[in-house]
Amino acid sequence: MSDLFQKAPEATETIVPPAERLGGRRLHVRRGVHRAQVLRHIALMVVTFVMLYPLLWMVASSVRPNSEIFQHAGIFVDTFDFSHYPEGWNALSHPFSTYLVNSAIVVLGTIIGNLVACSMAAYAFARLRFKYRKAAFAIMLITIMLPFHVLIIPQYVLYSQLGWVNTFLPLIVPKLLATDAFFIFLMVQFIRGLPQELDDAARIDGAGHIRIFGQVILPLMIPALATTAIFTFIWTWNDFFSQLIFLTDPSLYTVPVALRQFIDAQSESDFGAMFAMSVVSLVPLFLIFLFGQRFLLRGIATTGGK
Amino acid sequence: MNRRMYAGSAALAAAALIGCGVSPSDSGDIELSDEPVTITLNWWGADSRTQRTLEAIELFESEHPDITVEAQHSDWSGYWDRLATTTASGDAPDVSQFDQLYLASYANRGSLLDLDTLSEFLDTSALPDGLRGSGEVDGTLYAVPVGGTPNGVLINKSIFDEYGVEVPDLDTWTWEDFDTAAQRISEASDGEVRGVGPFGGDSFTLTVWARQHGEELFDETGDVVIDPSVVASYWQKALDWIDSGAGLSAEQLSEETGVPLEQGSMATGGIAMGFSPGAMYTVHAAAMPDSELLIADWPTDSATDEGFQYLKPTMYWAVSSGTEHPAEAGALIDFLINDERVARIFGTDRGVPGNPAAQEAIADDLSPADRTTLDFTASITERIGDAPAITPNGASDIETIQSRYFERVLFGELTPEEGAKQFLDEIQSGIDAAR
Amino acid sequence: MTALGELRALGTGQRRHAIDSDTRDNRAAAGFLAPWLIGLLLITIGPMIASLYLAFTDYNLLENPRFIGTDNITQMLSDERLASSLGVTFTYVLVSLPIQLAVALALAVVLDRGLRGLAFYRSALYLPSLLGSSVAIAVLWRLVFGKEGLFNAFLGIFGIEGPSWVASPDTALGTIMALNVWTFGAPMVIFLAGLRQIPRQYYEASATDGAGKWRQFRSITLPLLSPIIFFNLVLGVIGSFQSFTQAFIVSGGTGGPADSTLFFSLYLYQEAFASFRMGYASALAWLLLLIIGASTAIMFWTSKWWVFYNE
Repeated sequence: MSDLFQKAPEATETIVPPAERLGGRRLHVRRGVHRAQVLRHIALMVVTFVMLYPLLWMVASSVRPNSEIFQHAGIFVDTFDFSHYPEGWNALSHPFSTYLVNSAIVVLGTIIGNLVACSMAAYAFARLRFKYRKAAFAIMLITIMLPFHVLIIPQYVLYSQLGWVNTFLPLIVPKLLATDAFFIFLMVQFIRGLPQELDDAARIDGAGHIRIFGQVILPLMIPALATTAIFTFIWTWNDFFSQLIFLTDPSLYTVPVALRQFIDAQSESDFGAMFAMSVVSLVPLFLIFLFGQRFLLRGIATTGGK
Repeated sequence: MNRRMYAGSAALAAAALIGCGVSPSDSGDIELSDEPVTITLNWWGADSRTQRTLEAIELFESEHPDITVEAQHSDWSGYWDRLATTTASGDAPDVSQFDQLYLASYANRGSLLDLDTLSEFLDTSALPDGLRGSGEVDGTLYAVPVGGTPNGVLINKSIFDEYGVEVPDLDTWTWEDFDTAAQRISEASDGEVRGVGPFGGDSFTLTVWARQHGEELFDETGDVVIDPSVVASYWQKALDWIDSGAGLSAEQLSEETGVPLEQGSMATGGIAMGFSPGAMYTVHAAAMPDSELLIADWPTDSATDEGFQYLKPTMYWAVSSGTEHPAEAGALIDFLINDERVARIFGTDRGVPGNPAAQEAIADDLSPADRTTLDFTASITERIGDAPAITPNGASDIETIQSRYFERVLFGELTPEEGAKQFLDEIQSGIDAAR
Repeated sequence: MTALGELRALGTGQRRHAIDSDTRDNRAAAGFLAPWLIGLLLITIGPMIASLYLAFTDYNLLENPRFIGTDNITQMLSDERLASSLGVTFTYVLVSLPIQLAVALALAVVLDRGLRGLAFYRSALYLPSLLGSSVAIAVLWRLVFGKEGLFNAFLGIFGIEGPSWVASPDTALGTIMALNVWTFGAPMVIFLAGLRQIPRQYYEASATDGAGKWRQFRSITLPLLSPIIFFNLVLGVIGSFQSFTQAFIVSGGTGGPADSTLFFSLYLYQEAFASFRMGYASALAWLLLLIIGASTAIMFWTSKWWVFYNE
């Protein structure tokens, strides 16, 4: 197992401050800390195993014959049956790749939308002193307090009249218009954590708001932007209800909508295929996170903060 | 925000509401269009049903080159959420698969088309009268039943054999025989396996139990008419099995609520006998390939009413009242229920077809499990009674309400009598509110 | 409306520039906020007003809504299931959220830096959050917390015979809380990002002053991370009050056993889509908005004592 850890991409390496990386101090400390490090690894491995058990079970179930899935709560497989993967891939009206591509399009659109629109709004809320700022901020928060089940019908009527039903527009355009206030709030909190002196210095150099936003604030809030991107990705990738309602044409179905179609309470369900395709749909999420976290964790320490 | 902007958004909100509600299309002269038209077909189900239905659509399109059929499909719960939303917005699919739980709710609110207006295109004469009647609401045919299924008892014979318990004579068994057999299984296996599984949380078994006692849940006007003491005796039965050890414990029963049947105690070998719609025999047989599975009619008593069984419609086809192409929609349903090639494509996926010609068409290449289902359904059909009234408008949530009160009874929060009374009161008030 | 008033008064907790606003900022703000304003007016406000109107109607989705004044509000006063769903939801918010955030913060600190392989741990611990709303969870949760489940097998090692955790009304809510804590990866990621904003030099300086890890955590990490803790708390409260998917999946949409996991949003959903009472559901939604608004206002009000901004 430890080999696996060694090979894992070392995102932390890139953000260790140069002083620490070059300094000899670390070498001296190393031997004394060694035992503590091993203990921490063991503790973390136990926690990780418990946390991952359900996922491991899901992977195991995806290679078990259908009739055995509910007989075992363990993760060791006696009879391997890989047929769920090819079968699940082709079980629905379109190959599973169609759903993966559709989800990817929606995800890409929402990420771009959220990054651009929310960061702009967040800059205004965090750094500009404009009229009705507090009222606007309160309204922004209130808009995320209403459960979506009562909004879905008026929204459907709205998009239906715009002719947007059965397109990706109802899922993407609202994000371009910063309706995910969650992320505005997140970015506001991050921007307010940045030293005001940076803005002031830029202003003295004659920079306007657009330049301060683009050249000072944005580079410093990369962790917040990465967080937003990762969250948007995951929420959109998993969002079932709105994708179900707004996309009724099977060629436009997304992954979460497709995954539920393997299960039916009244007739024969295909659990093996469902688990197999769940595993397939988790792979992009896992990869995105594994490689995205280096941006997430690029702290102020390496981006020029004093 | 300035005033004009505010007014703008309010107008938009108002506009959003205009679309609500459906205006039934003019049923004056319905005829097939000369132009190519596109209609939508909407169903729920898992992947095998999707494949079969798509195949049937292809066949239909090849025979009707002017009609394009667009598919829509989803899982059960998403299906009803989406149908409600699209219907509310005047955007409902032309042809939708329906369940008897929701049929009256949609029909009484003007969302479905009177199918007798389509008789020129849609021939329902092949269906047995009793079955066809289950698609009627207040005397109007709003949906065409695809097929019907009785309720039966699944018996895992392998478990009986394993513990040396003899299977009772299934043709003549009484409730006492049933209870004894269940008890003996539990005792012989030392509680490892229980004699009988879930009973008390679904409206199908409740209806059959009521009919064994000469009662019905609802009358034709859509009111609750069952005597609360019959519901109480039904739940008492479940409690007795728990107390005697013949059945699963209260916790185990509650654990099975909402579980897919592949994960249920029958399929996983935790019980020897379980109540189930006959149509689900095939699914169970597939989920437990190593067990010998039997299916039988319910046990009776000397006092049990004849003809307590009935064929519960497995599902229906219905046409939205907002459709622009009623004739084509009718033609599509006609094709789906009457064409023998479709019958062969569907097999028993939507239950044993109600149309005798369709039954005949599939008879030759049935799997052993399908054959058992078909034979069981046929044998029960000989002694069914009148069909009960379908679930009325306002009671589409009966299943959740029933299982909620059943659980409260199971965990001793309510006595069966209290639970029965409150359960029926809540159903009736829902019906009253919907009027 | 008091919640709204308080929110307005407290706003973002700004103190220095509380009142003044200059025209240049106004113009710039209009530009930066343009997408949000357009979205608010064209997409967000309309459906919200529509739902507010529906709250005063009898609306069964299929026929036109009928105005009934305050009948829905009167009905709420005597609605026992509403009361029990509020109980479930408040219990969940008050118990599950603090545990989830504490676990997330603790692991974020541990996983921040200083150990090889952290990238792997972070990703692995984050994975459950990806799966939180998957249909697979429903199946799994019974395998873990059922009578014959893994958790009881674990307890069995110590000779304890556990109940069926998912099926007993006393413990079912606990399993959903466990599910929520299990997905601590989301707030953890936000904490991790926040930790990176704390300049290393602060720790180095305090280390030379002889401060231990715990004192560093209390005197540097906590205060500097407070805006992020605050954010996670506010969003956690809003999200927990609206919590729907987990209960829906684990209970198969019923809120059972015996309504013990009937979350407010789940009840609202049942009323709207299973019972065709969208008017009443809309009224419930606005009640929830008032509750969340009041809770949020209280948090903003307390934030001036414990949240520190770098301004």
